Amino acid sequence: MNEVLMFLMLAVPVFCSIPIALAWIYKPEAKWARKLPYLSVFGLFISLLIALYFLTQVPDGTKAIIYWLPDYNINFVFIFDYLSKYMGTLTALIAFLIGVYGLEYMHEDYRLGWYWFFFNLFTASMLMVVYSDNLLSLLIGWEGLGLASWALIGHWFRDDDELSFVGIHGRKVFINYWWPPSIGGWRAISTIRVGDMPMFFAVAAIYALTGTLDISQIPWHELFHKLGTLGTLILMICFLLGPLTKSAQVPFSEWLMTAMTGPTTVSALLHSATMVAAGTYVFMRITWYIRPWELHLAHAAHGFLGVEYIYIFMLFIGLISSLYGAFVAAGCWERKVLLAASTMSSLGLMFAATATSYWLGIIGIYVGFWYLMTHAFAKATLFLVAGHLIHVTHTRFSVGDLKLASKLKIACIITIIATLCLSGIPPLTAYWVKSAMDEVMHGVEHYLGYLPLIMLIITSTVYSGFLAKFLSMNFIKGERPHHEHIHGGGYMASAYTIMCIMLIVLLYRIAAAAEPVLGEFIEVGYKHSSFIIGLLVLVAYLIGLFKPTVKALSKIGTFLSDRMYMPFLNDLIVPAVGWFGAKIADYSNRGIDWFCHTGIPDFFNNISIKIRSIQTGYLRTYIKIVTGIVLVIFLIFSFVRW
Amino acid sequence: MLYENVIVISLVLATLGAAAAVRYPIASVFAVVIALLLPLMVPISEYLIYVAFIVVIGFTNIASLFIPKNTQIRGADISLVALIALATVYVLYTKDLALILTAFILASVPTYVLIMISDVRANVDVAIKYITFMVFATILFIIGAVMLVYSSYIKNDVLYTLSFVILITGLCLEVGCAPLHEWVPDVFTAGDPIPISIIASIAKIVPFVAALKIILLTSSTAILPKLLFYTAVISVISMFVGNIGALTAKELSRVLAYSTVANMGYILAAFSAISYPEILPLAFAGIFMQLLVNAFGKIGFFASIKGAGAATVSTYILALSFIGLPPLLGFWSKLFILLAVANAGYLWVALALVANSAISIPYYLRLARELGKPWVLNSVNTVVLFTVLMMLITILPPYWILDPIRSLVLKGIFRGVFT
Repeated sequence: MNEVLMFLMLAVPVFCSIPIALAWIYKPEAKWARKLPYLSVFGLFISLLIALYFLTQVPDGTKAIIYWLPDYNINFVFIFDYLSKYMGTLTALIAFLIGVYGLEYMHEDYRLGWYWFFFNLFTASMLMVVYSDNLLSLLIGWEGLGLASWALIGHWFRDDDELSFVGIHGRKVFINYWWPPSIGGWRAISTIRVGDMPMFFAVAAIYALTGTLDISQIPWHELFHKLGTLGTLILMICFLLGPLTKSAQVPFSEWLMTAMTGPTTVSALLHSATMVAAGTYVFMRITWYIRPWELHLAHAAHGFLGVEYIYIFMLFIGLISSLYGAFVAAGCWERKVLLAASTMSSLGLMFAATATSYWLGIIGIYVGFWYLMTHAFAKATLFLVAGHLIHVTHTRFSVGDLKLASKLKIACIITIIATLCLSGIPPLTAYWVKSAMDEVMHGVEHYLGYLPLIMLIITSTVYSGFLAKFLSMNFIKGERPHHEHIHGGGYMASAYTIMCIMLIVLLYRIAAAAEPVLGEFIEVGYKHSSFIIGLLVLVAYLIGLFKPTVKALSKIGTFLSDRMYMPFLNDLIVPAVGWFGAKIADYSNRGIDWFCHTGIPDFFNNISIKIRSIQTGYLRTYIKIVTGIVLVIFLIFSFVRW
Repeated sequence: MLYENVIVISLVLATLGAAAAVRYPIASVFAVVIALLLPLMVPISEYLIYVAFIVVIGFTNIASLFIPKNTQIRGADISLVALIALATVYVLYTKDLALILTAFILASVPTYVLIMISDVRANVDVAIKYITFMVFATILFIIGAVMLVYSSYIKNDVLYTLSFVILITGLCLEVGCAPLHEWVPDVFTAGDPIPISIIASIAKIVPFVAALKIILLTSSTAILPKLLFYTAVISVISMFVGNIGALTAKELSRVLAYSTVANMGYILAAFSAISYPEILPLAFAGIFMQLLVNAFGKIGFFASIKGAGAATVSTYILALSFIGLPPLLGFWSKLFILLAVANAGYLWVALALVANSAISIPYYLRLARELGKPWVLNSVNTVVLFTVLMMLITILPPYWILDPIRSLVLKGIFRGVFT
């Protein structure tokens, strides 16, 4: 029963989007074809219903297995545990709401078939990643995510509308500092590929070493013990490169910034709530089953040093990325790039929180996961609002004043609620989750010093500041927009309203301490230290609200909005290495060419002419040569036999 | 009836035919045909494959002699070819040193006359060059052979070594192995293509077979492997000189001359394996088939040169057979030599053989391209077509050559008493 439902959950969205894909191939932009997206969204709705069924009716720990290669122990294994049930519902719900939003947002688009097919393919892939226990079926979904991401980011591949660009067209900072959709799509897929390749090898190595690919069945501790410190490091780094590139941690963050060239629905679904969260989700999932806290106690005795290094590494990569993302977002002028940077920052915090589970136990994973859910709803809401604003003001830069706010009342209110809920201001949703995060960072002080907690506090402060800046620059203190096309917006507003309401639902769950772990969140939230940090965050929010720009700091701001020159890595250094390799290949080719077409022919030519030059034509010469050689031969053999 | 008697009868017949040809040229044709068909009555059945091929080569040479309108000694020339063929047929069979040497001379001397004939003037200056070297070679060969037999009787290793070296040097000079190949390019270019094709085809067989027999009948297993290193070195030198020299040669006859030098190198390479009795059949099969390839190929190419070209398909098949493309005859011969040499431990010789096959490709294809022209029915194309058909016989894999030769060797054709 569960297997059938699982199959339907994955297949129905894809099948429902095939009609419009085909229709768009054969009769693009036909009137009746523009009605087919409703079918696609209906497919998403079916997935949502099935996800809700799994959330409420299926007991924790159930598995659904679709057999594939049973002799090799490789099957489609789906597991319904805490992480997958919540994440699955979250994915399906967000996908559905954004689908509804997209019905209006993308209504006039010229490539609907492409858009809806990949949108639904993405949803199916994400659900596959979320529910998979088997690493191979997870990788299949993983690849689907990458493919859909490339396809959707590069949706407006003709690069004909500057509205979809990232950066200011024509601006150069030694390299071109603007990116059209086609380049955005390429950057996404190439960066993700760099991470995917080591991940494939790591999965293959795990299969070769343990004989199983089911995350819940792999004997992680024996595996790490067998590999030793270096082996564990190599294996896990290779494996985690996949999540790190997918979740745009430094130094792989550039693709996420230029992924904003895609439609806003894509940014909302893929690049805030789900796809990028897939990286952190996979990290949480394997941490859940690795149970590193057990190793932490044993490490001195059995040499699991490699695991400790991995988790320290993940902790600090996460914190560094979150700091970087927060500061970059603070300087951004473009709506979506600000939100993208802030997404990267939050993902870093998710990695860091999950990494603390090595020292503190499973609570780290819960903290990271609840932050993931809060962030997903909040960020998706903000992205959808940004999309609405882009539609209305016809620019991707943060413009908008109180007049605009009065015309877009719902958008303004929703933005206020979402930013308040996300920044960590007591007593709203993120406050409790962030307090728990402060607590786990405090918990690792004994092992790693004060640095993690300090980084977290700085990040939270800046985060809150730029959320307020987003609100301010778009609805209060921004420029007067040049265009104002306020029409329709019913679907769009409904979508982000419901999305925002989910934040309240989460707050309700926390407040009601619906689960034991949430009780711990509440307990931590009441501590003095948490409250002080909450006040700090509030102050930062107010500053961002009333003074979003500071002229004196504009040089620093430009540095930040230029993303601290990180694009140089993607656009200058890596291509330079590539071109260097190409040049070496060129020289080798020319060398082989010379060798085969000049070297060898000339060599043989010369020897041939020398051989033929013996033939002078005179008999006396030949006789001399022959007699001479014969005598020499006799001489040699006389000596040899002596 | 003893096989010797059959051979003698054929010899007499051929000679009488030559005599009668002074008056009636056609008489010689009849006589020669019968003389060449008689030896097919072989004493043991396995011997037939060898005799049959030699007879076929003989007939092909005779047929090619009818391509020029007339020669100075029409009638006698085909008898001379028949004499060479009969000598070749007999040399493998006999165990008597005197008869082996007689066969050697009988195969060599007719060529002295044949080289002079053509359809215009007689080529005396070419003959002088040729005869000088041939006489030198014959002297060395005979002295070497006799000394070899004597030193094997008295069991003197030093003398055996010296006589072996003399024998092989004589062999190289006779067939044209580098570094004693100087006469080959000049003679092949200056002479008339048809008699040259006779020298280049059937006249090369007896020296090798004779040398092989003498060495194997007198050898002691202790010393022979060491001595064969010398033949290996000579053969590799010959291969490289022949193939590389042919790459830039200008006249087509000169290309064929260098090609002959190279092919003699391939055949001499197989000598490296003769000290191993289990590999000897394979080696001899390789030698024999390579001699066949060389014979038919040279007849075909020289006939094409005489006729200023032959059918393009034919010339390409001849070229590809020389290069060693399966399933043509040239592939199988080289394969057997390669296997024999490799199994005998001379890997460097085997590698040299393979490399040389590659090096030889440009000039054979150049030959094929320059000699190729549209098909027209004339005597040249008939002869060439026949040689091409002979190259194609190994489309049936040559177990039917290898097995008789293997049983011939096992029956003791290279040792002891032979019935």
